[in-house]
Amino acid sequence: MGEMTALTWMIALPLLATPAIYLIGRLARDSSRAARWTALIALLLAWIPFAQAAADLHDSGTQIYTLGAIALRLDDFALLLAALSLGLGTLVTLYSGPYMQAEDGQEKYYASLVAVVGVMIGLGCAADLFNLWVWFEAMAVGTFLLVAFYHEQPASLEAGVKYLVQSAVGSVLVLLGIALVLAETGTLDLAAIRAEASSTTLLLAAGALMTIGFGVKVAMVPMHTWLPDAHSQAPSGISAMLSGVVIEAGLVALLRALGALGGVTGSWGELLMLFGALNMVAGNLLALRQQQVKRLLAYSSLAHIGYMLLGVGIAVYAREAAGAQGALFHMLNHGLMKGLAFLAAGALLYTLHIAAGDHGPLTVRDLDGAASRYPLIALGLSVAVLGLGGLPPLAGFMSKWQIFAAGFETRNHWIEALAIFAGLNSVLSLGYYAPLVNAAYRHAPSEAVRRGKPVPALLQVPVIALTVAVVAVGVWPPLLQWLSEPAGRALLAAFGF
Amino acid sequence: MSTLEIMLVSAFALVGAGLYGLLITRNLIKVVIALQIMVKGALVALVAAGQASDQLALGQSLAMTVIVADTVVAVIGLAFAVQVKRVRGTLDLRALAELRG
Repeated sequence: MGEMTALTWMIALPLLATPAIYLIGRLARDSSRAARWTALIALLLAWIPFAQAAADLHDSGTQIYTLGAIALRLDDFALLLAALSLGLGTLVTLYSGPYMQAEDGQEKYYASLVAVVGVMIGLGCAADLFNLWVWFEAMAVGTFLLVAFYHEQPASLEAGVKYLVQSAVGSVLVLLGIALVLAETGTLDLAAIRAEASSTTLLLAAGALMTIGFGVKVAMVPMHTWLPDAHSQAPSGISAMLSGVVIEAGLVALLRALGALGGVTGSWGELLMLFGALNMVAGNLLALRQQQVKRLLAYSSLAHIGYMLLGVGIAVYAREAAGAQGALFHMLNHGLMKGLAFLAAGALLYTLHIAAGDHGPLTVRDLDGAASRYPLIALGLSVAVLGLGGLPPLAGFMSKWQIFAAGFETRNHWIEALAIFAGLNSVLSLGYYAPLVNAAYRHAPSEAVRRGKPVPALLQVPVIALTVAVVAVGVWPPLLQWLSEPAGRALLAAFGF
Repeated sequence: MSTLEIMLVSAFALVGAGLYGLLITRNLIKVVIALQIMVKGALVALVAAGQASDQLALGQSLAMTVIVADTVVAVIGLAFAVQVKRVRGTLDLRALAELRG
């Protein structure tokens, strides 16, 4: 057994904190406050090993920790997922304090939230295929509980059941793929599989099974039907986590698995681009007709996964890191922007509905005139959706631009057409983002807004922090590109290019 | 047919049977059972793969891990079933179809 290093502490801290949060929450007199503070302290402490691990990675290259036959490997790609998951996890924990204050069973909420953060960091570091599946399944279990947290609400239960059934089928398909890989190559280590893998039918079938299986969690169209329900019915902080990190963690798992099978066929890049195009169109068209804000944002996640798939597909096709760097930069930006959008929409949902004991959805109409009463929240929501729509100088523009530019650098007419198509999709998406801003700023205040109570100050802190971040990254992209540039190279290295 | 082929065909048949069950049933408990049948297919495939690559112990330990992870999923599925019965008074999934669009 190896020494505990920064890498293992980064994963172990949140996982060790999980039972502690539950027990402290159960035993303490003021249970919800105790659980919240323990969760927040655990996540803040996890930043120390994270910084140490990032420094170790920078100084001495890929960090490896072995326990018997199991290995954890921290490369730049894993570091990016860890940063996204810890960053959004910390803000969401802060945000959940006021948002969840009236709910029962908060110790379970915070325990699951912190566990999911730890598990996602571990998922990025998995070095063998089965280990990857175990982290993936653990992430699924944690998120089932969080999606159905309002377990007295039929709509939440429905979303939970749909999510559970589709995820479980996906994970069985991944297992079949793993079995085929083991039978064919005799190993499960990702690097060893890449060395062993030749172009056989069984391995091709394994790649297809894993694409579908992990694709359920990534919400690749047509395996996306659970996503709008789960993301809109979960508590708003969890919606931010699901949309900003969890589906991206699924994408990381998919890319790790396909990377190991990189030599089996030259067509993974085309496959990813095809799914990217499907996701963009389906996500944008379905979002256009939504009247519920959280459901609209959930559908827009489909479109954004599409941009990421396109960028990664371009990189794998052209064997150039530029597309992957753009896609991973977009992954970080999407986490910030979609996190901000869900937290800001959640703040309005909280004051207009939940604080009044009503579990109805936040509709676009409820936003009417919100800027006059809730200027900071309306500003946050507007910055988030305009950034998602790709308006300069916000973060979303920079990363989409990087992906499209990578597409044009391939000098392939099909890919150039696809990049133009993605740009048009981005314009189309303003068709549902702009009405939100319009309603908040230009409409007369609705009855709900006029009667609404003020937003608790703590609920505003994460919203303000993310608003500043979205603008700052847009103006000065290197703020996050120090993570995404090496991560893009690490991703291509995982494919063996 | 080699042993591996026979095992893999039966594994896929089990997964197919589970998937078919999943598609035709509307009862939440039967849905969980159908999911369990699918996972059993995956277990057969894992053990067969372990044997085919001369690492039977590895295949078996993978199968054990999957049983543990899968039990957790089944427990959550059944917990949802209890809650659905409490809230809706029935286990029929058609009573749970509100979210659309």
